[in-house]
Order: sequence, then structure tokens, then C-alpha cells
Amino acid sequence: MIYERRLAWSVLFRLFHWFFALSIVALVVTGFYIGDPWTNTTVIKEGKIFTMEYMRYVHFIAGFVFTGAVIVRIYLWGAGNRQEKIMDFLPVTSRNLKNLFSTVAFYLYLKDNYEDRLGHNALAGLFYLITIVMAVLQIISGFYMFYPESSFWQSCGLLLFGTQGQGRFLHHLFMWYFILFAFVHFYIVVWNDIRCQDGLISSIFNGRKFRPKKV
Amino acid sequence: MSRNVHGFDLEARLNRRTFLKGCAMAAAALGLSDDMFPKLVKAASSPRRPPVVWLHFQECTGCTEALLRASHPDIGRLILDIISLDYHETVMAAAGNQAEENLRSTLERYNGRFLCVVEGAIPTKDGGIYCKIGGRTAMEILEDVAPKSAAVIAIGTCASFGGVQAASPNPTGAVGVRDLFNARPVINISGCPPNPVSFLGTVLHFLTFKRLPPTDQLGRPLFAYGRRIHDHCERRPHFDEGRFADQFGDSGHREGYCLYKLGCKGPETYSNCPTVRFNDVGAWPVGIGHGCIGCTEPRFWDTMTPFYERLPHVSIPGTNGISSSADSAGSKILGITAAAIGIHAAAGIGKRFLKNKPAETDNT
Ligand code: HEM
Ligand code: HEM
Ligand code: SF4
Repeated sequence: MIYERRLAWSVLFRLFHWFFALSIVALVVTGFYIGDPWTNTTVIKEGKIFTMEYMRYVHFIAGFVFTGAVIVRIYLWGAGNRQEKIMDFLPVTSRNLKNLFSTVAFYLYLKDNYEDRLGHNALAGLFYLITIVMAVLQIISGFYMFYPESSFWQSCGLLLFGTQGQGRFLHHLFMWYFILFAFVHFYIVVWNDIRCQDGLISSIFNGRKFRPKKV
Repeated sequence: MSRNVHGFDLEARLNRRTFLKGCAMAAAALGLSDDMFPKLVKAASSPRRPPVVWLHFQECTGCTEALLRASHPDIGRLILDIISLDYHETVMAAAGNQAEENLRSTLERYNGRFLCVVEGAIPTKDGGIYCKIGGRTAMEILEDVAPKSAAVIAIGTCASFGGVQAASPNPTGAVGVRDLFNARPVINISGCPPNPVSFLGTVLHFLTFKRLPPTDQLGRPLFAYGRRIHDHCERRPHFDEGRFADQFGDSGHREGYCLYKLGCKGPETYSNCPTVRFNDVGAWPVGIGHGCIGCTEPRFWDTMTPFYERLPHVSIPGTNGISSSADSAGSKILGITAAAIGIHAAAGIGKRFLKNKPAETDNT
């Protein structure tokens, strides 16, 4: 079979992906530290490295990067290229619903062939949507704590989470969603890269996927 | 009337000096400018200031105690002097029918002009029978008194948000004033107990400006509940530098380090405790080595516990109440996920062996 290389992901989309992924790594590491500061009185004489102040500083910078990335992704849902638009992968159209079931069968080794698509398959797309929704909740709970004296964030926070204490607790719990997502996501991407011929992993760097050429 | 409280001899009348001192404290808490001060003093000493009806429901009288006794006596006297208490079950001399008569006549004479202070939660379950005074339920009394007042001050976390009575499973259906009544302005002076200065400031604000001070989204006055404890705490530099007490009594605790790891809820609690402090001696819980328990926040008995751990536990579904910390639950789920991934990968490899098929079916 002859393959051709076709553009799947725009530059903005790839930038979103890596800013999103790297900021999450920073947020999880510093978040764990904020939740349970492990350097302690034992290292007080070690100078100003790994202090709470520093970890929070990094957390907040990464938090703003994360927020920017999420805004970009939501913008691309409406204004991106064909693969990036939300209707291309949400399992609400009959095309995507069919794809959802065939992808599940493919992942369960019940089927050997997969539907060739330039964009996301519908199962992945569903989880990417959930991830962005979780990210928005994480941002709101984060800013609720970040601007404790703003009545705007207080109304949002009280409406969605409850008091600062509850917001903080949920912010901590939601972190585990992102850890689990990153874990499973990495496995599935590698698994797909091995099983399929489209060159999935390199596509998130160079934006291009391989498609069977129609003759 | 001369009582002996904590060895202080109380004069029946407050002298002008202590009166001004108390007003100055409240004015400082409110953040009023110097020019406003005479106005405040005038309002506080006006003979035509509105009387106060103080209702007690499901409570421990701790708020009243904190107000009248725990402090250096001046503040207590000041409050009794500034607000003309027409009805207060703990301190009034009248009892029985005479007391009820006082209440009735105040409601009549000052209809729409008196201040109603509520202390304690209101039980609503089974028609509110879990708190009755003079044969009437708390709900009925509130329904009778509050609509006739100029404004309602809910003092303490119980009257504000339900407090310990409302802690899960809330057997009496206890709620705060705002959950039942909002036909008049209601302000929440939460805390268990709240600082007398926050109460005094609110009353003086009302007397001076004829309206209640601005509040946050939970109805608490911003001058007292506008900032988190953590953001004004004297241990905050230790927090920023990463110096924490790990256990009560350890070297970090004795050095005065931050109490975050001992479960301090200062980062999620709004109150003026670190600046106003208690009992005129500059003391407050975190200052003397005990973490904040978040007593000014709604449902703190449920959401701030365990008091000596940073975050609440998550209860594990299907185990009938067994709970674990968020992180150990998270890492267990992560472990299960890793196992599932391992099985999935192994199944793929196994299937390929069984079918004995080459991986590449095409020859590009
Ligand atoms: C080594 C690491 C990673 C690689 C190689 C990688 C690769 C990829 C690839 C190839 C896609 C497109 C998949 C498709 O078409 O279905 C993708 C999408 C995505 N990745 Fe990653 N990823 C990595 C790490 C992460 C991390 C750590 C996160 C965040 C937790 C993340 C979040 C996402 C999201 C949210 C999308 C979907 C974008 C969208 O359409 O909304 N990735 N990734
Ligand atoms: C995936 C994204 C994020 C993760 C995994 C994450 C994780 C965490 C964790 C685990 C904590 C400690 C909570 C505790 O145990 O008390 C925390 C605290 C916090 N996070 Fe995030 N966070 C994320 C995004 C954000 C964003 C977008 C913001 C917005 C600026 C933010 C602001 C904060 C703030 C203000 C705190 C409290 C810090 C303090 O009071 O010292 N976070 N975060
Ligand atoms: S003792 Fe409590 S309020 Fe004070 S800095 Fe530490 S965590 Fe914050």
C-alpha cells in the first residue's frame, strides 16, 4: 500500500498540546509539594531552594500557562481545522457513534482493522472533552484559592464547590484525574503507534499523519 | 448592680474613657477614618438608639459568654451599654411571663426599628419541636420577631450556618437564619465563638450609618471576614520558607513554625482572628500553637475534619464508611490502572502469538 503524509494538527494545536502536558507535569509536582511539603525543618539551613514560596510560585506560573492552553483548545474547538473542531470527534453524530463502537472493539482485540481517520477517534475524543471540562473545573478551583478576596471568584467557587476548604479538597482530588489520564493516554498513544500505520506519536510533533493514498 | 467577674469590680456605669476606648476599637476594626469617629460616638451614645432583642435557640450560650465575660470586662459593659437590651434570656432580670411581656411590648413599641440578634440554629424537622421556648418553637418565634425588626444579626456559626447541630446527619434539621428568613437584611457574624469586636463593629456600623456593613457572598461583614487567616498569620513566613511543625511538641512546634502539617485550616478560613485577637491580651488559637479549625466557615464540622489533618478523607464506596486520604485512594486507583494496562498489553502480545501473524500485513 502507498501512504501519503497529510497535515492533521495545526501549529497552534501542537503548541497547546505541549504547553498543556508540560504545565500539568509542573502542576502535579508542585501540587504534591503544596499538599504535603516534604522538605521540612530538616533542611532549613539549605538556603532558599524548594521552599513553599518557590513551589507555589512555580505552581502559579504553570497554572497560568495551563489556563492559556485550555483557552486555546476551547477556541480551536470552534475555529480550528477540520480535525480540531469538536464535532469531528464527539460521539453524537452517527459517524462518530459508529466509530466509538468500532474503536472499543479494536481496543479490546475483538477486531483487527480500524477505521482510518485523520483526526481523533471518537473514544479518544470523548476523553479529551472530559479532560478539558476537568481542566476548566481545576482552573476555577485554582483561581478561587488564588484570588481569595475577589467576590467574582468567591461566587463561582461557592456555586461549584462550596467553601474554600471544599474547593481545595476537590482541587486536590481532581489532580488524580490528570495523573490517571496522563498514564492511560501515554499507554494508548504508544499502543496505537505500534498497531497502526499512521505514525501517531510523531504527529503531535510535526502535525502530520500517514494515510493510505487513494488511487 | 455590682457584680464581681474575674476579680474585676464592675461599676454599674461605664466611664467615658473606657466608652471611647471601646468605640475606637470598633472604629479601627471597621476601618473608619478619624472624621467618622465623632459621628460613631454620637450614634453610640444617642438615647434614641434602637433597642435589641436577643433570641436564643439551639446554642451553648458560648457566643454570649464570649461577648460578656471572656474579655476584659470593658467590652462586655460597652456592649451592654451601647445596645439597649430589651430581651436577652441570659442576662435579663425578668423571667417567665414577665419576660415574654417585655418581648411583646418591645415588638409593639419599636416595630420595624429594633435590632434582632439571633444566637443558635433553628431546628426545622418535625415542625421544629426540638427547640421550644415558652411553648413556642424556635421557628415560630423567629417568624414572629424577625419580620418586625429593622435588621437581623446572626451571631455565631450556629445562627449563621447551622453549626454543630447541623453537622451530618443533622438529626433535628437545624439551619441558620438565612435559610429560613430573608425578608429583612440578615448579617452573619460567624465563628465559634465570633470575636466580640466583629459584633460590636457591626452594631456600631448600623447605629452610625443606619444600615449593615457590606458583606461577602456568605453574608459575613467584609471588615471582619474579608481576608483569610493564613494571609495575616504571624507564622506565615515559616510557611513560605517551608518550616513546619510535624507534631505537637516537637522542635518545630517549639520554634513557633507553621502549623500547616498539623491540619491548620487557616488557608481556607476567612476571619480577622490574627489581627483583632481575643480577650484583650493578644491571644488567638494559632498564636498559642493550635491550628485553626475553620470555625467561621459553613459546615466546618463536616468539611474541616479531621481537624489535625490537612484535607478531609474520601469515603470508599461500598465499604460502609471506610475512608482513606485522597492521596492513598488516588495511588490505589493508579495501581489498579497500571495492572489493567499490563493485562491489556499482555493480551495483545498473547493474541499475536496465538494467531501467529506477522505484525506488518502490508509491505510499504
Ligand atoms: C510523552 C508524552 C505524550 C505524547 C507522546 C502524547 C501524544 C499525543 C498524541 C499523538 C495526541 C493526538 C492523539 C489522537 O489523535 O487521538 C495527543 C492528544 C492529547 N494529549 Fe497527549 N501526549 C503526551 C503527553 C500528554 C500529557 C502528559 C497530557 C496531559 C495530561 C496530554 C494531553 C493530551 C490531550 C488533552 C490531547 C487531546 C487534544 C485535544 O484534541 O483536545 N498528553 N497526545
Ligand atoms: C492540572 C492542573 C492542576 C493540578 C494538578 C493542581 C494541583 C494542586 C494541588 C495538589 C494543590 C494542593 C492542594 C492541597 O493539598 O491543599 C494545589 C494548590 C493550589 N493550586 Fe493547583 N493545580 C492545578 C491547576 C491550578 C491552576 C490552573 C491554578 C490557578 C492559578 C492553581 C492554583 C492553586 C492554588 C492557588 C493552590 C493553593 C496554594 C496555597 O494556598 O498555598 N492550580 N494545586
Ligand atoms: S499556622 Fe496556619 S494560618 Fe498560619 S501560616 Fe501556617 S497554615 Fe497559615
